[in-house]
Amino acid sequence: MISCDSFRKRFHANTADPALLEHLRACDRCLDHAASVDPDVLFRALGGDDLVPPGGLDAFVGDVMQQVRVHEAQTKLESRNVVRWPRRLAVAATLAAAISGALLFSRGTASVPETKIPIAEARALAPVPAAKLTTKPIVESYESENATIVEVPTEASDDVKIVMIFDENLPADL
Amino acid sequence: MSAELRLMISTTPMVEPDDRQLVQTIRGGDTDAFETLVRRKTSKVYALCYRIIGNSEDAKDISQLVFLKLWENLEKYDPQFAFDTWLYRMVTNVAIDFMRNKQSRENAVNSNLRLVKTSAEAEQGVVVQRKEIESVFNDIANVLSPKQKTIFVMNQMEDLPSAEIAKILGCRESTVRNHLFNARKLMQAQLAKRYPEYAQLWREK
Repeated sequence: MISCDSFRKRFHANTADPALLEHLRACDRCLDHAASVDPDVLFRALGGDDLVPPGGLDAFVGDVMQQVRVHEAQTKLESRNVVRWPRRLAVAATLAAAISGALLFSRGTASVPETKIPIAEARALAPVPAAKLTTKPIVESYESENATIVEVPTEASDDVKIVMIFDENLPADL
Repeated sequence: MSAELRLMISTTPMVEPDDRQLVQTIRGGDTDAFETLVRRKTSKVYALCYRIIGNSEDAKDISQLVFLKLWENLEKYDPQFAFDTWLYRMVTNVAIDFMRNKQSRENAVNSNLRLVKTSAEAEQGVVVQRKEIESVFNDIANVLSPKQKTIFVMNQMEDLPSAEIAKILGCRESTVRNHLFNARKLMQAQLAKRYPEYAQLWREK
């Protein structure tokens, strides 16, 4: 570094001479002198030197490298997730299709519009289970001189007609 | 034994790789090379952050953020350009963003702080000391915009010419000169208002 005398001789306003700036930043007495010649150097005195972060260089570098490793691990994890993503999407789509299909089917079967039918009519419309048919559906012709036929009178024309046949020779399955 | 030892000693001196070579190695996935680069650039990056931000802990955090961004974006570096210019651009971007956020947080709270300096001390004449100047600078530079302060710091403290600053910030040299001019004006006014003892030193030439 140059001497104080040399600095004071060589110093002038707007100097960019690295040797002069180096001295300026290291010597408070010369800064005082320089500021009286060129007030703009007042804040130039602050610069120049390299600074060390609090905790020291090693600790700082260690922290940075640790963050870099964490960042790298995260990046790798994210890239793996990106690779798995289409497969997961395919599985999810299949499941969604199956569920929605099942729902549609069940709605289709249950979606017959409900109409209010009178109970009597509903009973008439209701299909009779085949197991409950104890008599033959076809009326067979039968001739007998001993048979007595009793017909129960009905009030309305659409009433069910009840007919009773009494005959000792009548087959049991008629 | 001595002959064997002589054979083991390399005759070619170890040449440290320059920044571009290091970047190439890092791009190949070498984290050790990145550590070397961080070690090499820390003091410069931290110094610039500290001077822009004015607080050692914040400057440390911002410097670490800069290096992390450097790692993430190293693929984007074009070796045709100087590595330091690219690095400084990253530093200034991160620091300016931080300052903008910080300013918006603090504007409502801290608008008129003044360093304690008694009138008696002022009368004794100005004893210029670096630590004191640093405090004064950190105090009055709050009137500057983050970009103005960054340009002022790079020019006045990092000794970067306006052409280089223009490259770093991606603007014209005339813009840098305008910012410097305005920064000086604002700081002179602030100094006269709050530190009249210094203002007599820093007057219009």
